[in-house]
Amino acid sequence: MQSPLYADVVLLLEVAIALGLLGGAWLARRHKFREHAWCQSVAVLLNLVLVAVVMVPSFREQVSPKIPAKLGKSYVGLPAAHGALGGIVELIALYILLAAGTKLLPERLRIRRYKLWMRTVLVAWWLVLLLGAATYVRWYVPLPFRH
Amino acid sequence: MIRTCLCITVLTFLVLNAVASLAAGSGYFGSTIQQGQEQTLEVKIDNFSFLPATLTVAAGTTVTWINRDDIPHTVVSSDDPRAFKSKALDTDDRFSFTFTKAGTYSYFCSIHPKMTGKVVVQ
Repeated sequence: MQSPLYADVVLLLEVAIALGLLGGAWLARRHKFREHAWCQSVAVLLNLVLVAVVMVPSFREQVSPKIPAKLGKSYVGLPAAHGALGGIVELIALYILLAAGTKLLPERLRIRRYKLWMRTVLVAWWLVLLLGAATYVRWYVPLPFRH
Repeated sequence: MIRTCLCITVLTFLVLNAVASLAAGSGYFGSTIQQGQEQTLEVKIDNFSFLPATLTVAAGTTVTWINRDDIPHTVVSSDDPRAFKSKALDTDDRFSFTFTKAGTYSYFCSIHPKMTGKVVVQ
């Protein structure tokens, strides 16, 4: 493995966050909504910190200069897809937190079908995690079938 | 008289030839030629490795790193301040640096810090 320490730490934290979101969903099914709200809020906000502190600077330095010229290469395409979908999912997750957990949004901007939105985001979150893991493997793991 | 001159000529030629051969064997002429020439040597980057990992060169040599891997790599001096630092090299991109001073120059890939190499300048 050729990964820097920060990449290993971020990958482990992201797996823990995704598992935490699954745990939070389980809490909702058990009707423990207060605990559910705390669990999902911590997960979404911790992810936001990781995105801002580690992923965005790394993406800007290593990947974005190669877009669009090398978008067809998997080492650019994978992180680009991960970044695009991940950004959308994080924004929707933050919106759900604001709509469900606060009264900051006006009534007309509130979400009505919470379950649908939350479940969709949870599935999309795991898809983003898989894209992130694929990016990690592509950038840091020497694969035996490359040569 | 002619035979003596011929012998002296042959002996002189043999002695000069022997001296030249000895000098070349001891590396005297060889090192002069190496220092006089500006050589270029290559380090291949492949499968997350610098090949060769350690390269010994004469002062004044230009070393060129070529990325033959299918993932970007960098070549960054470990010294402080950094003696050299490349941009991220895509496949088949090159980076060159001329080593003018003797010493040992360790370097690494900033994207994959466990990838390391060394240039020994004599």
